[in-house]
Amino acid sequence: MFRNFNRSTVRVLIASNHALFRHGLMSLFKKKMGVKVEIVGEVTDFESANQILETQAVDLVIVDYDDDQLNREDFLTRFVGGGGQKRIILVSLSNPESAMLYDRRELPLAQFEAWFEGWQAAGDDSAATMAGAVRSKGKNQTRSNRMKHFVVAGFLVFVLTGLLILGAGQVRLLPIAASAQAQPIDQLFRLMFFAIAFLFSLIVVFMLYSIVVFRRRKGDESDARHVEGNTRLEVTWTTIPLIIVLGLSFLGARSLADVERADPKALEVNVIGMQWTWRFEYPRYGIVSNELVLPVNKQAILYLSSQDVIHSFWVPEFRVKQDLLPGGEEFVRTLRITPTEIGSYKVRCAELCGIRHAYMESPVVVVSQADFDVWVAQQTGEPTDPVERGRKWANQYGCLSCHSLDGTKLVGPTWLGLFGSQVKLADGRTVTADEAYIIESIRNPGAAIVEGYPNIMPANVGQDLSDERIQDIIAFLKTLR
Amino acid sequence: MKERVGLFQIGLVRGLIGMLLGVIIGLGLVSGIRALLGLPIWNPEAAWVVAGVFGTIGFMLMVGVMRDWIKWALGEETPDFPESDPRLKGLAKYLSVSYDHKIIGIQYGVTALIVISLAGLFAIIFRTELIAPGIQFLQPQDYNTIMTLHGIVMIGGMLLGVGAMSNYLVPLLIGANDMAFPRLNAFAYWINVPAVILLVGTLFMGGLETGWTGYPPLSSRAPLGTQWFLLGVYFIGFSSIFGALNIVATVMKLRAKGMTYFRMPVFVWTAAATALIALTATQLIGLSFQLVMFERLFGMAFFEPAKGGNPILFQHLFWFYSHPAVYVFVLTGLGVISELLPVFARKPLFGYRWVALSSFGIALVGFLVWAHHMFTSGMEPYLRVPFMYSTLLVAVPTGVKFFSWVATIWEGKLSFETPMLFVLGAISIFLLGGLSGPPNGVVATDLHLQDTYWIVGHFHATMFGGFLFPFLAAIYYWFPKITGRMYNETLGKIHFYLMLPAFYVQSLGQMQVGLLGMRRRIADYDPALQIEFSQLLITVAAYVIGISLIIAFINFAYSAAKGKVVTTNVWRSRSPEWTLLPSPIPAHNYTEPIEVVGEPYDYGLEGAVYVRPISAAPLREGTEPGLPPDAAVASAD
Repeated sequence: MFRNFNRSTVRVLIASNHALFRHGLMSLFKKKMGVKVEIVGEVTDFESANQILETQAVDLVIVDYDDDQLNREDFLTRFVGGGGQKRIILVSLSNPESAMLYDRRELPLAQFEAWFEGWQAAGDDSAATMAGAVRSKGKNQTRSNRMKHFVVAGFLVFVLTGLLILGAGQVRLLPIAASAQAQPIDQLFRLMFFAIAFLFSLIVVFMLYSIVVFRRRKGDESDARHVEGNTRLEVTWTTIPLIIVLGLSFLGARSLADVERADPKALEVNVIGMQWTWRFEYPRYGIVSNELVLPVNKQAILYLSSQDVIHSFWVPEFRVKQDLLPGGEEFVRTLRITPTEIGSYKVRCAELCGIRHAYMESPVVVVSQADFDVWVAQQTGEPTDPVERGRKWANQYGCLSCHSLDGTKLVGPTWLGLFGSQVKLADGRTVTADEAYIIESIRNPGAAIVEGYPNIMPANVGQDLSDERIQDIIAFLKTLR
Repeated sequence: MKERVGLFQIGLVRGLIGMLLGVIIGLGLVSGIRALLGLPIWNPEAAWVVAGVFGTIGFMLMVGVMRDWIKWALGEETPDFPESDPRLKGLAKYLSVSYDHKIIGIQYGVTALIVISLAGLFAIIFRTELIAPGIQFLQPQDYNTIMTLHGIVMIGGMLLGVGAMSNYLVPLLIGANDMAFPRLNAFAYWINVPAVILLVGTLFMGGLETGWTGYPPLSSRAPLGTQWFLLGVYFIGFSSIFGALNIVATVMKLRAKGMTYFRMPVFVWTAAATALIALTATQLIGLSFQLVMFERLFGMAFFEPAKGGNPILFQHLFWFYSHPAVYVFVLTGLGVISELLPVFARKPLFGYRWVALSSFGIALVGFLVWAHHMFTSGMEPYLRVPFMYSTLLVAVPTGVKFFSWVATIWEGKLSFETPMLFVLGAISIFLLGGLSGPPNGVVATDLHLQDTYWIVGHFHATMFGGFLFPFLAAIYYWFPKITGRMYNETLGKIHFYLMLPAFYVQSLGQMQVGLLGMRRRIADYDPALQIEFSQLLITVAAYVIGISLIIAFINFAYSAAKGKVVTTNVWRSRSPEWTLLPSPIPAHNYTEPIEVVGEPYDYGLEGAVYVRPISAAPLREGTEPGLPPDAAVASAD
């Protein structure tokens, strides 16, 4: 038992009226103990014992229990109330087995009192046996009580867990899963929701149970049982969560591998984000589109890039998300999606990208392979009417996310009635919106800023547009009266 | 005869004048230099940045907080223990420089409540906008400004609240008479004032549009207000670093006799762990914001890919601070929970050493998890799985706290005064915050959750449970100690019973709409998501939280003036500030030194003593250092 002491030297106080008891024990200690023992005092009376307890850091007190002159109750009260880590041994020579250990770190006061009374009442009987009996009786009583609380609360944990899971079933929590990648992710979500319901119940039930059952009675000013801790419990509730989180991480890594499984024949699409619109290019077909059309049950690999700030590609029904970075080739990132449900969705920019971030949404359409082929055929044949072509370019190049066609004031001036009108510029000039003005505004957007609008149109919009396409757009503009 | 205090003797007034002068000088200086160089005179970016820096310096000089340092530089004598202007009484004392850690703590606390209310007001404004789809009254640009300010001003407010708790409590709990560096302490508080003014000033400088994370390249091209935002955060960082340095030195050097590390009240452990994080991580956010400032001012390209920079680099630098910062906000709060539970349960803190060390566990692991904010950012994909493991490890020391708290109240004798209610509420909310963490920490599920309202719900639960509820618990608990008067219990309970359910509605609602597809930081949302009803509930809940806080403020203000006078140890706590000091506490705290003779939380151990004045020790002449003569027999052979 001395191995548990923190100090290398054990400081011992022996309290007995009998010189033989004191000296016998002392020489026994010197001989038998592996640790260094320093006897800080031998005392015969309460006063001097107290003085030593006050002034010396005593680790172990040995009390001669047979000594009637020692005021045991006072001595023990004093001892129990002191600070520090002390242990006490009560030794009775009237019975060969009656050495009792009281460790104030391990034995609460109430239990100690039960035990102490039992020992005193035992009288001539074998002190050790009697003490043992009383001790186990007292312990059994409280223990059965404690077990009852514990079992009831434990039962309630499962009740609440069940209720929470049932309740969560009544609430809409996730959009439909429309991609192969969504399957492992949703499985993991379900597992986590169960785990959250259980762990939440575990803590909350024990809390609520304590709040209801262990409330202080009116007028009760006394303290509760003195329990300082339990190393075994602490180790348990460190180890089990550790195993759980390692397991969860492992499952998470496995799901991630499922999500990233690559199909070498995936359909390649370049996704370009810009403030505040999306453009989708299909290099295999030479298509540029402002909606993302994908064939069902075929993996698409998206090459994501941005023309200005960071954006993020997210279709909630597909579950996966990836940021788009500006900076060209080196910063292109990929995302693999295998749509599994035919339908219309929306890609929603998930990284704050400026004023119209909330509206940076574009349609995503999942169609059958046959419908996809039809769409490709439609897109690759160009309309013969320049006005229709112009409408198409305006859509594809994202012009319409900032310029309205119906007079609504967006970030840029509306196109309704623009062509041929008088435009007041920020620098005070007034110009006619003729062909030259339109071309300049596309090619070099910063040159002429309309009064009341910020200078935020990206310069690279115009660089991607050929002269012919700009002419088509002008033809389209002319029809907007 | 009552001497009247002149308006200009009040530090705050002088500071504000100094700030105004500084701003004017800064504007003039830049324009003057540009005129001399033959450049166009007016360059708003440069002029306002220099104005912000000079304004802050002007404030700090005029408020008087650097008085002694300037004297030292000039070789003049100053008293060993700095004293504030003795003419200042009452309110004026609190509005001027003081070196008393308790006054500084109260200054921090009141400023925190004001700043938190302001940030809350921003939230109420944009929550009202989100009550239905479409634009109600707030244009997207203003929405972004208000939303960004809500975030960053709230963070400033929380740091102030943490400062309030650690400044007021740490010296009291360790038996010290003040902090180790009182002048630095005052400086660390006062620099927050111009910093917050800079942050709010962005409202009048074209606003903000980046969110509090300020990611470039958006932040390097966002409106002018961004500069003062970056600058304000930079100066608040000074406060964190100096404050933390002070706490570390105080805890290491000024503990009372006999107070070993494992006999400190457990709040001191969390304050020390918090300080270690703030002392070592804050530099990173300062640096990253400074680099963005330089990008804008000088055209440097740290993060601009078009010129060879890398936008991901910013995110690493930023989160290397901003993730541990989460623990700066919450560890102190968790310390309050651990500190108050034993008092109201009349039972020792279960597993004191485990609880104490778990704070350091959280702090250390917290440094290794930052990249979990970047799972979808486009950083190197192979980094994601290791960061997932390290992230989830945080659950282990956090779990130790939860289990130990429950074991503390189990079989206790609980009573439910307002501070205890807030502590119990805090545990349940922080639990919700903690448990909603693993879904974002696991890469696969985070691919869905990143940048959605789920995250918003998650971190609001963490902040309410880890900071706001414990902070309110601490205010109610130490209110009689601070003011010498009792708060109104009925109003306190009304506050709690309004705020707790409102919070649950708000946070669970945010998580639900996030799962369904609501993105973070959007001014408007698609009606097709069918989340209007949840959005309405969240907004109503936000109003209720606002109302409950107004009730609390009325309670504090009224009770501080008119509450029932209490001088005794109202909570029957064993802590030194309650057992050994009168309320309110006089300057320099412990008139005679104290010593620690027992364990801090020995509730239920009859006669156990934790602290006592050294003079009260029953030592008699001749009993020390040797043994009492009649007892000294042994040890010699």
